[in-house]
This record gives sequence, C-alpha cells and structure tokens, in this order.
Amino acid sequence: MNLFDSLTVSGSALAAERQRSEIVASNLANAETTHTDTGGPYRRKEVVFQAPGGSGFRLALASTGHLMGPEPGSVQISEVVDDPTPPVMRYEPNHPDADKDGFVAYPAINPVMEMVDLMSSVRSYQLNASAVAAAKQMIQQSIDILKS
Amino acid sequence: MSSPITSLGSIGSIGSLPKLPQLQPAPTEGGFSGVLSNVLQQVNQLNSGAEQQIGSMLTGGKADVSSVMIAVEKADVAFQLMMQVRNKIVSAYQDIEKMQF
Amino acid sequence: MSTTPLLPTLENYLKLTVTREQAISANMANVDTPGYHTHDIDFQGELNRAMSSTLNQTEDDGVTAQLTPVIREVPGLMERADGNNVNLDREGILMSETQLQYQIGVQLVKHQFHQMLSAINGGGQ
Repeated sequence: MNLFDSLTVSGSALAAERQRSEIVASNLANAETTHTDTGGPYRRKEVVFQAPGGSGFRLALASTGHLMGPEPGSVQISEVVDDPTPPVMRYEPNHPDADKDGFVAYPAINPVMEMVDLMSSVRSYQLNASAVAAAKQMIQQSIDILKS
Repeated sequence: MSSPITSLGSIGSIGSLPKLPQLQPAPTEGGFSGVLSNVLQQVNQLNSGAEQQIGSMLTGGKADVSSVMIAVEKADVAFQLMMQVRNKIVSAYQDIEKMQF
Repeated sequence: MSTTPLLPTLENYLKLTVTREQAISANMANVDTPGYHTHDIDFQGELNRAMSSTLNQTEDDGVTAQLTPVIREVPGLMERADGNNVNLDREGILMSETQLQYQIGVQLVKHQFHQMLSAINGGGQ
C-alpha cells in the first residue's frame, strides 16, 4: 500500500464520518416527530461501518493494481439500520396522533447520546483530515528529492 | 625495508580512481578506454533501471514514489560522475600529448 | 542519446492529469446543481491505451499519440434529494492526488531534459 492509497483510504473515512454526522443530525432534528409517511413515530437511525473484506484473493488483486471498488483498509457505511428500541409512550389525550388509550408514541432519541456521537464523528473527521494532510506532505517531499 | 617502498609503489597509478559504492574501475591494463567503458556500462544499467521503475509507476500506479525518485537521483549522480571522469581522462590525455621529449 | 520512449509517455501522463483536474473542478463547481452527476476519466485505462498506441508507432519519433480521453459518469455514488451525486470529500481527495501526480510528471520531464542538456554541455563545465 503506497502513499496514494493512504490518501484514498483516509478519503473514504472522511466520507463515512460525514454520512454519520448527517444521520445524527437527522436524528436530532426528528427527536419529536410522531408522524411519518410510513405511519408511526420517527425511528432512530444508526449507521454500520464496515471494512471491505480483506480476503486473500482481494489482497492479491490489489497488489496487481487491477482492483476495482473499495480498497482494503478503507471504510464504508454498509447499511443504515433502524433502532429496534420501542418508542416512548407519553400520555397526551388531546394530541392528534394519540391512539385509543390517549398515548402518543415519541421516538426513543436521547439528545445526549446523539451529541456524543456527533462529537466523536467530528473528532474522527479532524483526525482523518490530518492524516490526509500528512500523506500529501510526504508525497510532496519525496517529489522534492528531484528538485535541486 | 620493503614494506614502505612497496606501499609507495601501489599508490598514485593513473589507472586507479577513487572507489565509490557503485562504480569500480577496471584494472590498469584497460587504460583510459577500459575505465570509461566500464563506468558507462554501469551508468547505463542504473539509468535503464530507473526508467523501468518510472514506467511501472505510471502504468501500474501502485509503485512507491520515494523509491522511484531515489533511483532516478542515483542514476543522475552516476551520470554526473561519469561526465567528470571523462573530462579528467580527456585533460590527462591532453597533458600527456603536450609532453615533449 | 535519442529521445527516450519515456518522454511521450510522460507527455500523455501530464495531459491526462490536466483533463482529470478539469473534470474534478467541474464537479466541485456543480455541487449544488440539481440533477448533476459526477464526471471522471478512467485514468489507468486511458494511460494504458495511449502507451500501447505509442508503442505501435515505429517511425514517428517525437510525435505523441493523439489522446482524446473519454469523460464518463461515475457509477455507484449516492444521490441526494435533488438528484445531485457530487461527494465533496471524494472530489477533494482526488484533486490533491491529481495535483501531486502532475508535479511528479513535471519533475520527471524536467529531469529528462536536464540530463540531456548536461550531456550536451559536457559535464556542466
């Protein structure tokens, strides 16, 4: 794996972290949404990170330079899943979405948890951006070998 | 005493050049042309090796940039050394020509 | 010392890098355009094509192959609600990579000419 590959790997991490922060922002925005198109309250979404498989065949293909698709070592978001936690029921008989007992289903979103996720996502983004800058600098300096 | 005299005799012969890690001079029997052609061959080798590395880096895209740059620099330094060797040999030859007996 | 076969390859390499840089700038400029899809070139494929056509030219020394890189859409990118699928992270990384590749190409070309010139001038005297 050479320096250009590490650029691509860090780039994949940046994209994944950005998607993750978008999902967290969506969760935060819909923390009080009781009514969606699919019926029922908004369900909290979670992302699943995955490193594309490093099977022997893939690694061998990567070394010949004919690998298509994600590099081994990079990260991608494989799926966005709904949180299976049951929604929080609150007693509000006058709410338009109240069921027959007067309970309204609110999404089980804890703002503190979402903020922690957001902060960790931002931090990861910063770290990966530093990694990109470092790799760029190294390539730049190895080009400078020829300059003088 | 034989040792200082024999050691005196082994230095300063025209055909022996300073040794560098990669270029080794031919024995004195070859003379100027032998030394130069030997050095030329090694420079050629280094050069074609560097060109190969550049080619594989451009096409495959997976080569190590730093090792390619170092190979190119090595070939360049060997080339410069060869040019200086050639110049020295030429000027030494001209010096000998000027000698009148 | 004839022109090394490396020079036409390096020329094509630089041309491809410039074309790719243009495609990436267009993508970045259109990050807010509804319905815009990311464009890119197949760098390795185009370079291999150019190199094999250069090899087939036997007598034309110094004439590089005419290169018309094909710009096509990039598959597999996620589309947002307005139909735009430009991913700024991907474009940023690719732009850095392309710039570095251009610098490498320029340095190698400079070096080729430098070597020829020092041979012509007789060892830098």
